[in-house]
Amino acid sequence: MKYRLKVGEETSEMEVLSTENPHRLRVTMGDRGVEVSFQRVSENCLWMVADGKATRVFLAQADEGTHVFLAGRCYLVQDADRLHLRGQRQGVHEETPREVTPPMPSVVVRILVSEGDLVKKGQGLLVVTAMKMETTLGAPYDGRVKKIHAAVHQKVAPGDVLVEIEEEVPGND
Amino acid sequence: MWIGHGEAKMFKKVLIANRGEIAVRIMRTCREMGIETVAVYSEVDARALHVLEADEAVALGESAPSGSYLHIEKIIDAAKKSGAEAVHPGYGFLAENPRFAEACEDSGLTFIGPPGRVIRDLGNKTMARRIMTSAGVPVIPGMMEPTQDPERLGHEAKIMGYPVLVKAVAGGGGKGMRVVFEDQAMREACLSAMSEAEKAFGDGSLYLEKHLESPRHVEFQILADGHGSVVHLFERECSIQRRHQKIIEETPSPVMTTSLREAMGRAAVSAARAAGYVNAGTVEFLLDRSGRFYFLEVNTRLQVEHPVTEMTTGLDLVREQLHIAAGDRLRFGQEDLFQRGHAIECRVYAEDPEQSFYPSPGKVLLHYEPAGPGIRNDCGIYEGFRVPVEYDPIIGKVIAYGETREASRRRMIRALETYAILGIRTTIPYLIDILSSPEFAAGDLCTDFIERHFQGWRQSTQEADMAKIAYIIQDLTAPAKAGTRQEAHGWPTPWETLGDWRL
Repeated sequence: MKYRLKVGEETSEMEVLSTENPHRLRVTMGDRGVEVSFQRVSENCLWMVADGKATRVFLAQADEGTHVFLAGRCYLVQDADRLHLRGQRQGVHEETPREVTPPMPSVVVRILVSEGDLVKKGQGLLVVTAMKMETTLGAPYDGRVKKIHAAVHQKVAPGDVLVEIEEEVPGND
Repeated sequence: MWIGHGEAKMFKKVLIANRGEIAVRIMRTCREMGIETVAVYSEVDARALHVLEADEAVALGESAPSGSYLHIEKIIDAAKKSGAEAVHPGYGFLAENPRFAEACEDSGLTFIGPPGRVIRDLGNKTMARRIMTSAGVPVIPGMMEPTQDPERLGHEAKIMGYPVLVKAVAGGGGKGMRVVFEDQAMREACLSAMSEAEKAFGDGSLYLEKHLESPRHVEFQILADGHGSVVHLFERECSIQRRHQKIIEETPSPVMTTSLREAMGRAAVSAARAAGYVNAGTVEFLLDRSGRFYFLEVNTRLQVEHPVTEMTTGLDLVREQLHIAAGDRLRFGQEDLFQRGHAIECRVYAEDPEQSFYPSPGKVLLHYEPAGPGIRNDCGIYEGFRVPVEYDPIIGKVIAYGETREASRRRMIRALETYAILGIRTTIPYLIDILSSPEFAAGDLCTDFIERHFQGWRQSTQEADMAKIAYIIQDLTAPAKAGTRQEAHGWPTPWETLGDWRL
C-alpha cells in the first residue's frame, strides 16, 4: 500500500509491505527501506523498533492531521491524499502562506497601513493579539495595499484575509 | 536555630485568586496544612484543573480577565460568601495590584503578600529605583520619572545614547518592554509598549533604562516576617529569556561565588528592608560581565520560578507565606539556611515553536507526564482540557533536581524527552535543544542567549520518518475510527488477513 505523508513542508511517498510477522512491516521511502516491529500499547500508544532502536510513540488524531510524539518532539503528520479533499472543504488554508492571515484566532489591536500604501516585504501591516501576546502580521511581498478587511477590536481567525496586497510587478521603464 | 511554627492562629480557609498551575500548587500546600481551599473560575475555566482540585469553587462569570480573575469586587465577594479568611493571589492577575491587597484588608481578609502600600511603591518602577538608590542599592542608569510622551522618551534616549530599554512603569513579565537600537524605531516601539502596558496593567506610562550588553539576570528570593526579620533564600539565575520572559531558571547561578552571593544577598535584604517588605518577594538584579550588579525591580509575589529555590533549600515557600501572613515569626535566621544540589526549571508554554511561538490554545488530546527521581511537574492542564485563548500561554513547569548542575541538566533533558502533550503545540522541543546546547551546558548564559544562539531555530526533522511510520501503523492497526484508510477506502487491507492486531 502506498502513502503520501506530509510533515512540515515535506511530503514523501512511502510504500508499506506486510511480512510473515503481523507485528512487523517493511517500509520503503525513496531508495531507503526500513523493517519495523511494533506492539500496540494502547489506543494512543505504540512501541516500535527500527534499526535496532526501540521507541515509545504517542499519537492523537485531530481535524488537521495526526499528532505524533516521539523522543521529546511532536510532528503533525498529514495524509497528502486526504489533505487535498480537506482543502476543498475548508477553504484554501494549506495554500495561503502568501496571504495576510492570523496564524491563530485573535483580535485586531492596531492597523499600521492604509489602503493605497506601498509596502515592502516583511513590513508590519497590522497587529493582532491572542493569549495576551501581540503579533505583527507583515507583508508577504512588495506591493500596494489594495483592501483592508479588518477593524480594530475585530475577532479574526486563520484563513481570514485581513489585508489584500497587489503585487508590484517591476516595470520595464 | 530552627524554631517550630505555630504561635499564630493558622487560617481555616483560603481563597486562591488565580487559575492554572499556580493555583493548583498553592492548593496542594494548603491541603497538606489542613487549610480548606476555595477556587474561583471564569466561564471558560469551569472544568479547569484548579477548580477540580479545590474544596469549593465560586464562579466569577465572564471569561475575559477583566470580568473574572481581574475583577476585585467579584473575588472579594466570593471570599466573603465562602467564609475564607485569607486570599492568596498567586502570580499575575491581581497579585501585584495594590488596590486588591487593600480591598482584601478593608474587607477583613488577610492578603497573602506584602501590604498594599509596599506593592504600590515597588510596582512603580521609577519609585522603586528611588527607594533603592536611597538605600545604597546600585540601580541601572536611566530615568527616575515616568512619562507617556513618546517625544520626551525619544529625547531622553538621544541623551542617554542607544541602545535603550523602554519599560512600563507598572511593568512585569516583559509586558510593555522594548529594546530600541535606533532613533527611527523609537516612536513605534513606544506606542506599542504603551498599548501593551495599558492593556496589561491599566497604566501606559513608560521610562527608559540604559540597555546593558549581554548581562545575566540574577535574582534573590527573600522572606520577611511582620516582626522585622528578613532573610534571603539565595539566588536564581533566569538569564534564558525569550521576548523578555524567562523560560529556563536555575539555582545556584553557574557564575556565583561566595563573596558575590554575600554582597548581592545583603543588597537584596537591604532592598526589602528599605521598602518595608513583608512576606515572600524577589529582588531582581542584572549582573554584568565584570561582576557588577544593578537593581532591576522587586517582584512582590510568589515567582513562577520559586520551585528551584524550594528544591535546593528544602523549604515550601507557600507554607512560609501562609505562616508569615498569619503573623508567625520566621523560624530561622540567615545562618540557618543552606542550599544543596542544583535545580533547573523549564516553563512549558502552549505556543508553537515552529510558527514564531504563536499561542497554541486548544484541546489537550494526550498528556503523559514526566516522572522519576528529582522530577517535579507543576502543571495546570490535563488530558481532555481545552487550553483557553483568553489567558497566558503558560501551562506548567518542569523542575529537575540533581546533585550538580550537569546532573540536573541531563535529568531535565531526560524528563522533557518523555513529556508527551498532544493536540496543542508546546515549547518542549525548543527547551530540549537549548538545554542540549554546548553554551547552556557550559553555563555561558546571558539575557540575549536566545537571540545569540537560537535565532531562527527550527525543530529537527530527524525523526520525521519514524513519525510517518508510526502514522502508518496507527492508520492500519488502530481500533477502527472514522477517517482511517481502512474505512475511507472500504477496501480489505492486506492486514486484515494477518489476524488479530490487538494484544
